[in-house]
Amino acid sequence: MSGRTLTGVAARIEARIPHTESFTSELRGPRTAARIGVWLGVALSVAFVTGLYSHASQLATPLVALPTAPSRLYQVTQGLHVAAGTAAVPLLLVKLWSVFPRLFVRPPRPGRELALHLLERVSIALLVGAAIFQLMTGLANSAQWYPWSFGFVGAHYALAWVAAGSLVVHIAVKLPIIRRALSEPVDDGAAGSPGSTGSLAPTRRALLRATWLSAAVAVVATTAAEVPGLRRVAVLAVRSGEGPQGIPVNRSAVGAGVADRLDDPAWRLRVIGPARTLELSLDDLRAMDQRTAVLPIACVEGWSASGQWSGVPVRDLAALVGAGSGEAVVVRSMQSRGAWRESQLPANFVEHPDSLLALTLAGRPLDPDHGYPCRLIAPARPGVLQTKWVHELEVVPA
Amino acid sequence: MRPARLGLGLLGLAATAYGFLLVVGLGPGQLGSVVVWVVGGVLVHDAVLAPLVVVLGVLAVLSTRRWWRTPLVWALVVLGPLTLVAVPVLGRFGAKADNPTLLDRPYWAGYVVVATVVLVLTVAAALRRRRFAVG
Repeated sequence: MSGRTLTGVAARIEARIPHTESFTSELRGPRTAARIGVWLGVALSVAFVTGLYSHASQLATPLVALPTAPSRLYQVTQGLHVAAGTAAVPLLLVKLWSVFPRLFVRPPRPGRELALHLLERVSIALLVGAAIFQLMTGLANSAQWYPWSFGFVGAHYALAWVAAGSLVVHIAVKLPIIRRALSEPVDDGAAGSPGSTGSLAPTRRALLRATWLSAAVAVVATTAAEVPGLRRVAVLAVRSGEGPQGIPVNRSAVGAGVADRLDDPAWRLRVIGPARTLELSLDDLRAMDQRTAVLPIACVEGWSASGQWSGVPVRDLAALVGAGSGEAVVVRSMQSRGAWRESQLPANFVEHPDSLLALTLAGRPLDPDHGYPCRLIAPARPGVLQTKWVHELEVVPA
Repeated sequence: MRPARLGLGLLGLAATAYGFLLVVGLGPGQLGSVVVWVVGGVLVHDAVLAPLVVVLGVLAVLSTRRWWRTPLVWALVVLGPLTLVAVPVLGRFGAKADNPTLLDRPYWAGYVVVATVVLVLTVAAALRRRRFAVG
């Protein structure tokens, strides 16, 4: 209902815009919105918390020491992140459908009410805009599709705070409506009872069940590849899980621009420390004590694959150049460009015996795409930080 | 009750404000693109997707018998979002010639199989409902 009277062209345009009452489906409204909203809130919260963890893992110097065990930790948190975001797609779409008529509420007369109305509109626009942005960019990033000109990591992180913040504001504003809606039955008596003609028309319960099923189907189709036995059902997974030596590749040697530099007989690993700088050949590294560990490559994009890696523990190399305890190690790649050509292994990860400068995967020398001649592999770390084609380690104060 | 709501609201405002600082911190080069994608996402939903679903709903009500409607709701709610989720892999926009391990599944075949299963179940449910309605 309009708070003021319009005349002329404005009135004719206004008359053609639907009103809240133009939408007659009884499936819309608070009883549907609140119930889907609860699960949408859960999905977005899981995505936000696991996203913060992933962000913290990628900082060169995390604010607090992050756990180094279990080794599959990042695999699990990032798998949850992508699964929660995927589940949020149907939840958000049906949620928006259930409140769509509210878009056509006419603004009240100028004054305090109008100010409040605009404030609510702006907060909802922010929430919807940020939520759609997060799901869109996250999905596209999983498939390494970047049809935009901003940096994915920075923008996805910034908008996560906008989405989370405006979601909390939205919940605070709507709390009385949410409580009332949740205390009411899903459907009014007759609609749900069998035998009545009403049971043939869609009920809210049917819509809700379809929404839960939709979220489950979307998650299984995209991320079930991580669950043994379900890989074939994951028809939309960005990776089949196949790859050289049984592990998929995020960035190939050709893509990183290092393919023609891998077989250089003059290659040496430079290890820089407080006491000395060493240059080690591949044979020198092979002659050192080797350690084997089964560790996952767990990508931010949600896929992961475990492999049996062997090589020299990073802490042994750091000790050779006089590193004390509590010092971090910067790992540098032969890559001359790319955001991930260098990573910093925090001190508690350096001390972990399974943090390896790996020389072999599944018992054979690394495939060029897995980082030949040697790569970093450490437990509970994002895949992008498992630097490949390593040529330099530097011990730095943590 | 009231102070809790107010506290929640203030917490949300603080987080939103921090997000804004981060967005502005992306710099003028990226800011424009971010705004275009945020606003574009809302417009695509509100002006294209939502009206399209409204039209589908009206068509369903005008042209189908009652026993069709619940199965159609199930089909649309399951297949609609799944189709949107599938866009990046169906298009294989991120595929790279140097990396055959990326986007390496037969996505169209998988999508067609899932869509067929959903549609067959939809028709089966509708037929069951028709019998129920007559009997």
